[in-house]
Amino acid sequence: MHMSHKTHQTPILSVEDLSVSFGGSRGSAKILEGIEFELYPGEVLALVGETGCGKSVTAKSLLDLIPQLSRNRSGRVAFNGRDLLDLSSRELGKVRGHSIAMIFQNPQSSINPVFTLGEQMCRLIRMYLPDEIKTLCKQKMVKEKAATKQIAQEKLAEVGLTETDRLLKSYAHEISGGMAQRYKIALALLSSPEILIADEATSALDVTVQAHILRLLKEMSQKKGTAILFITHDLGIAAQICDRVAVMYSGRIVEIGSTLDIFQKPLHPYTRGLLEAVPKLGRKEPLRFVSGMIPDLANPPDGCRFHPRCDHTRAVCSKQRPIIIEKEDGHFVTCHLYSATLPDE
Amino acid sequence: MSDVLIDLSHIKTYFPQKKTLMGKVSTWVRAVDDVTLKILRGECLGLVGESGCGKSTLGRTILRLAPVLSGTIRFNGVEIQHLDEKAFQPYRPKMQMVFQDPRASLNPKMKVMQILSEALAICAHVEKIQYAQRATELMDMVDLRPEHLFRYPHEFSGGQQQRICIARALATQPEFLVFDEATSALDVSVQAQILNLMADLQKRLNLTFLFISHDLSIMEHICHRVAVMYAGQVMEIQDADALFASPRHPYTKALRDAVPIADPTQTDGMTILEGEVPSLLDPPQGCRFHPRCKHATGRCKQESPKADVIKLGNWVRCHHHLRLWKRGLLSD
Amino acid sequence: MQTNDFKKLAREALADHRKARAYKLRLFLKKKLAVLSSLALLIIMLSAIFAPWVAPYPDQGRGDINLEERLQPFSKKHFLGTDIYGRDLLSRVIFGARVSVFGGFFIVIMAALIGVPLGLWAGYREGVSGAVIMRTVELVLSFPSVLVALGISIVVGAGSMTALIALVIPWWPWYTRVVQGEVLSLKNMLYIEAAQMLGYGHFYILFRHVLPNILAPVIVLMLLDVGPAIISIGVLSALGLGTQPPNADWGLMVWSGAQNLLGEWWIAIVPGFAMFLLVTAFNLFGDALKDILDPN
Repeated sequence: MHMSHKTHQTPILSVEDLSVSFGGSRGSAKILEGIEFELYPGEVLALVGETGCGKSVTAKSLLDLIPQLSRNRSGRVAFNGRDLLDLSSRELGKVRGHSIAMIFQNPQSSINPVFTLGEQMCRLIRMYLPDEIKTLCKQKMVKEKAATKQIAQEKLAEVGLTETDRLLKSYAHEISGGMAQRYKIALALLSSPEILIADEATSALDVTVQAHILRLLKEMSQKKGTAILFITHDLGIAAQICDRVAVMYSGRIVEIGSTLDIFQKPLHPYTRGLLEAVPKLGRKEPLRFVSGMIPDLANPPDGCRFHPRCDHTRAVCSKQRPIIIEKEDGHFVTCHLYSATLPDE
Repeated sequence: MSDVLIDLSHIKTYFPQKKTLMGKVSTWVRAVDDVTLKILRGECLGLVGESGCGKSTLGRTILRLAPVLSGTIRFNGVEIQHLDEKAFQPYRPKMQMVFQDPRASLNPKMKVMQILSEALAICAHVEKIQYAQRATELMDMVDLRPEHLFRYPHEFSGGQQQRICIARALATQPEFLVFDEATSALDVSVQAQILNLMADLQKRLNLTFLFISHDLSIMEHICHRVAVMYAGQVMEIQDADALFASPRHPYTKALRDAVPIADPTQTDGMTILEGEVPSLLDPPQGCRFHPRCKHATGRCKQESPKADVIKLGNWVRCHHHLRLWKRGLLSD
Repeated sequence: MQTNDFKKLAREALADHRKARAYKLRLFLKKKLAVLSSLALLIIMLSAIFAPWVAPYPDQGRGDINLEERLQPFSKKHFLGTDIYGRDLLSRVIFGARVSVFGGFFIVIMAALIGVPLGLWAGYREGVSGAVIMRTVELVLSFPSVLVALGISIVVGAGSMTALIALVIPWWPWYTRVVQGEVLSLKNMLYIEAAQMLGYGHFYILFRHVLPNILAPVIVLMLLDVGPAIISIGVLSALGLGTQPPNADWGLMVWSGAQNLLGEWWIAIVPGFAMFLLVTAFNLFGDALKDILDPN
């Protein structure tokens, strides 16, 4: 079942019934079950959830970045007419970094510490922008090396970095977290990818630095039309820069809709509980939270995985897995409460 | 309001960075650089700041886990910073700390009962035969069950582990508790549980808290007053509501505005603070914040501002705070 | 709460922990190599202990000569043949195992007893004393262990006990270095700080908090170290500085059997192979144990 909402637009990425399991010694665990969502060009989609909900696994599974799980994936991930799950690793290698780029939580640890920032960036520029180098060479009558360096400086300035000359000569450990993440974003955008996946990209940064990075990402998305899949546990980030929000719980997407819909009209009991637990400036009531703990993936509850903690649980919830229901245009929820016909108890 | 429990006066905590060959220190990390503040009995004082501002060091300094270079710490009026180990030992049960990473705070080879017993052992007035009873009471206080006493830390979730740490901190019947980023490693819903538990315990046991965090939004929920720290100094301290509604220091405003609000209808708030957090090795002259402050003047570059009292227990260190506040430059 | 309820809860938890340990044991036993090596070690060590009863010709094992049956290959009477003095090789190997097994354990345990506390101190306290310890470690480690032991044995005089003690001297620094590294990284653990906050002193923290958490890697290190220790004993004995003839010793047997290598090859190969088996068994056992002693 498709979750397409803007029927006049075709999604750039369409995930259908993605399931990932992990075969352990105590039996297999379904880390992801029936993940379905679509990403439209130029939009920012948030994938929110708490620890262990599988949001990071979802993102990494799209690009087959978890070797232990690559054979345990099922479903379909349509991108530009091809199923990413079907691609060979060579073909997928061409997609990664090129059409779909990714940035992670600790930027400094994903920069090669042995080379300078400049060396790494220039190598990528030569790979992705050979024509631009050639044009610049002819225009300014400079050699390839100088042209590449100039492009590098331009790209760094685009993401708000200053002193680009010095920066290109620095090493990973010499720069701050904020600078490193901007650098990684610049690298990611070199190939003008259609999709940028940000996996907790600002969680390790100070809040003032985070504000910069979030604004930068939003600007880049608007300017270049890059769709962003933003994975985070921070609902504030989702509210501020994302167009749509998908809420995950224990390997399933429980609700998905526009940011306004999710925050103002949350449907799923878990979404509601989550919103009530978030501390908000200017609100002084005691925080309310959902009791209980997230389920053990190796031994999840039957039916709806949330039912043991749900205030509105009914008999059917422990027996049958709920299906995706479109409650209103573009707003989907996976919960028995919203079934057209609620079976009698 | 003479009931001051903790009285800090011009505290400086420096760490040696480089030593010359002869052993003399050439550069210091000025983690806490001249902090003066009072914590009142029964209050929850929040201490907020970004990474590297010295807030964790300040918490540890009060508990004497970090060495004080100069300044005085008074606990219930008694100076404690210079006491030797033996003289300070009677004070240890009175002040305890809950750390950031609950998993790292508990010895994986010790059962919960042993962990609690280790804390109970330093209380002079508790006999060994009472340990079992005391431990059970402590478990109950943090909403855990007696059977949990015989488990190892790894058998618990993050939130439960943090409760065990809180139980351990309460074991010695302290008057003062420092929470050092105690909820930062926890999920939102677990964090809510722990914060509610903390607020409840404070009321029931009449405790005094120092709550350290980088997250401004949670401060409002349990803190009475909040202090904002930047580059080793406290820039502002106000009653919690006042601090958020009308901050008096430009940095506080920037900090507040940088927090992403979980409300999609308020998206224009995030004013961006330029620049980088200063290094504690060589902080800026004059007002620490001047290189990044939109309103900085020549005076800010040369003169370090003194604490200007707004009302009792509320003050701010900024040369221009009155002018900025009157002009509404510090509000939305 | 009643003391009886308390005890009941304690017992229940204990039962659960026992089940967890039993599960780990089952995991261990599932690995074929682990079982094989454990069995091999058990057989060898039991044979060594009960040598006089297990060996077919205990007197020959100890050194009695039997010239009539010298240089015989594998036969029903002498399973592994006889050496140049006609002594039953099987018995010699069994008696030689005593030296190797006991010697190996002796070296490793003594080295740990010296090296671990020094490592604990150097890692925890650092400072001048710690620096002195680590420089000493580096100094001793820069010499090949066998040569050091060799030098000592030559000076003090040959003999099996001398050789063992001589080998301990270059052996302990390795433990100090490993432990010091572990302690350095453990020092940053918050539960250490928590104990300091309660006012506990350094010695208490070292033995109650640090040591239990480094014990697992140290034990694995020791097990994997027995093999090299056994070989070193063998080398020393082969050079005449360890066990003195006519006592059985694998190293000695290999050396004296070397002259007959082209003809009666079994005299040197059998004890050599025995050493190989024992060392491999210890290595495999240590490896398998490493996996289950992993922290949770």
